Amino acid sequence: MDRRAFLKATGMALGAVALSGLPVRAQGLEGEDLANLEKALQEALGKGFRDLTPSDLVKVTMPTIAESGANVPAEVEVNLPPGEVKAIHLFADKNPTPRLASFMPMKALPYYATRVRLAETSAVRAVVETQDGRFLLASASTRVTVGGCG
Amino acid sequence: MSIRVIVRLTPARPKAGEEFRLQAVAQHPNEPGTRRDERGNLIPARYINQVEVFFEGEKVAEVRPGPSISANPLYGFKFKAEKPGAYTVRLRDTGGDTGEGTVRLELA
Repeated sequence: MDRRAFLKATGMALGAVALSGLPVRAQGLEGEDLANLEKALQEALGKGFRDLTPSDLVKVTMPTIAESGANVPAEVEVNLPPGEVKAIHLFADKNPTPRLASFMPMKALPYYATRVRLAETSAVRAVVETQDGRFLLASASTRVTVGGCG
Repeated sequence: MSIRVIVRLTPARPKAGEEFRLQAVAQHPNEPGTRRDERGNLIPARYINQVEVFFEGEKVAEVRPGPSISANPLYGFKFKAEKPGAYTVRLRDTGGDTGEGTVRLELA
């Protein structure tokens, strides 16, 4: 392994450690641009948007680093019986329009995959709306080298 | 103009009771309304904002995508294989264009 690859690998590992070590806030949200995000959350979720519960039942899969923000694969999987998931909403904190998509599974399994544009490095959130009115939250982060919205 | 949609299943022939993925890919620029052309003018937003999946005519899933979805978008779903039949994916963009793609589920 050359010096460059070594630095890159250790840097990314340290970054991952730092991220996982962060304390979780009451609302489960972390980040700099939350005003932008909260507006979109309110629009998508209505009154319950402040009541997000971070949950291990929701898994968001994104690449750690994306050369271009124009085409970033994103995948959400929810570990709940199919009938219990009403909707899955996806958000990117720093996009001009933070809401990426809303998915209503109906008869599908609680899984959704797509490709998104990311304006810059930012957290991507999945909020799962359950039939009994809870909002489960999971986040992932992708480092973007070139933004996909401009 | 109609939007071209390609739909495929993985695995192509699932067993009864097995889970499979249904993927639809559309040919569409999905303009988010934030990009500029070479003269610096904003390109107006035009993106797919409705995706519906039907199985034998019954709606089984729906997506409301926003402007931040990539060009030539992909939509991936998972279903449980129960009986053979046709899955149809219908799309609509903000300009009113529509597109449709169909795939037949055959059980192994």
